[in-house]
Amino acid sequence: MSQLVVEGLRLEYPTRDGAPFLALRDVDLNIENGEFITIVGPSGCGKSTMLMLIAALLKPTRGAVRLNGRQVEAPGPDRALVFQDFALLPWRTVLKNVELGLELKGVAASQRTEIARRYIAMVGLRAFENSFPHQLSGGMRQRVGIARALSVDPDVLLMDEPFGALDAQIRQVMGSELLRIWERDRKTILFVTHDIDEAIYLADRIMVMSASPGRIIEEIKVDLPRPRDLAIRSSNEFNNYRQRLWTLLEEQVRQSGSWAQPDDAPLERA
Amino acid sequence: MDASDATLLERLLEHRNARWIVGGASVATLLIVWQIAGATETIRSDLISYPTEIAASALAMIESGELATHSVVSLKEFAQGFAPAIAIGILLGLGFALSKPLRYLIEPLFVAMYTAPLIAFVPLLVVWFGVGTQSKAIVTFLAAVVPITINTTTGVREVQEPWIRALRAFGASRWQIIGKAILPGAFPVIMAGLRLGVGRAIVGVIAAEMYVSVYGVGRLIQTYSTSGRAAEIFVLVGLVSSFGFVCIGLLRSIETWLAPWKARA
Repeated sequence: MSQLVVEGLRLEYPTRDGAPFLALRDVDLNIENGEFITIVGPSGCGKSTMLMLIAALLKPTRGAVRLNGRQVEAPGPDRALVFQDFALLPWRTVLKNVELGLELKGVAASQRTEIARRYIAMVGLRAFENSFPHQLSGGMRQRVGIARALSVDPDVLLMDEPFGALDAQIRQVMGSELLRIWERDRKTILFVTHDIDEAIYLADRIMVMSASPGRIIEEIKVDLPRPRDLAIRSSNEFNNYRQRLWTLLEEQVRQSGSWAQPDDAPLERA
Repeated sequence: MDASDATLLERLLEHRNARWIVGGASVATLLIVWQIAGATETIRSDLISYPTEIAASALAMIESGELATHSVVSLKEFAQGFAPAIAIGILLGLGFALSKPLRYLIEPLFVAMYTAPLIAFVPLLVVWFGVGTQSKAIVTFLAAVVPITINTTTGVREVQEPWIRALRAFGASRWQIIGKAILPGAFPVIMAGLRLGVGRAIVGVIAAEMYVSVYGVGRLIQTYSTSGRAAEIFVLVGLVSSFGFVCIGLLRSIETWLAPWKARA
């Protein structure tokens, strides 16, 4: 049985002129335990919306999300989120930010610190546990976001363009580090991105979404050996995946007209 | 100004204690000029007094116990008004920010109160609550509660969406969101409200006492005014403004202590 099942997920909401806007059109997903899934699609196609629905930060118009056989009704630490804007609390130190999820889960204070320190070490921020977010670089801030999400030991990690705010080099390094962490505990990950290389490099399977209203038009299984290093990006197999994905996306991007839109299309953030 | 003057001034301003050196020099100059003008009767000293006379008056007022007796009463009135103003101001501000009906219902009253000359109500308050400390505490409360409420509302409404989203994602309850995201996020703006409130509260206490009272620093100011005693008035005004200075400094320290993330240079 699949661990995370999404059935007929649909989201409509009323717009200003009263006509309903279809943000997500009947999405089905079956994700096995420990899979690394990346989701790509043109800007504004509803890929982040889908993540928010799985997190239950948004309520679907129709359809259901089931995790380990139980229907998802409300947000909870079994599905931890990592956000593009990091969403750290600026008044908390790195340590206290990572402890947040544990606090909300009701973990005792002494244990909290111990667990948080373990994950801070895992993302390589041991020397910065008493720093505040404003003292850290973007890449370091997102490491805090990842440590915070992992610390609650979620069943699924939902990552919403987590490296989207970082520059290209840092982005590649962060991708490799995420793989290194993932190889250790094999958490199920749903990773939204619009970076094609990133989508291939990380994934067991890639879900390709259509232009808005979003649905999944293709599923690509990535048969590259693991563990992967950055050099794999220049291999022939990788290039084949790249070409295939690009052809699929090009068509969708042209349809959506999102090449003419700013990167953060408002639809996506709804 | 020639070049050498400019470099001297520039060098002075670059000194790490420039603020204190320049500020001290300015105050010292004022005191010296004042002393000369008053002590030599260049300007009538019964109108402007002068520093040494003021210092002597201060000592006399301390020795007679007069200053202590009246200060304690004023301080009590201030505390009785300001403490509940903090509690109620923060609660109301939170309520205004989070509940539209409450905001629509009560906010106009607050805006009106912000500009109303509260001191005009003192005679009524005295009739309602007597000439004792209670009527002054109420004036203080009314004066301080308004900026604290308004700032809390502003602070809460400026809380950023990602902070709340981070908590919601972990399944936080409404109260956890208020306690862990909204209040700490609004804290610096609430503290600014407290600083505004302190000023208004102090003016409220003194003005109310000047109106009708038996004890209090305002009462003393009133007494010395009618007998035209400039030196004593300067002592009392200095006392009140030092108290305000200390309060605001205290609030600032609390803020840097509790919100070091905001206290960037």
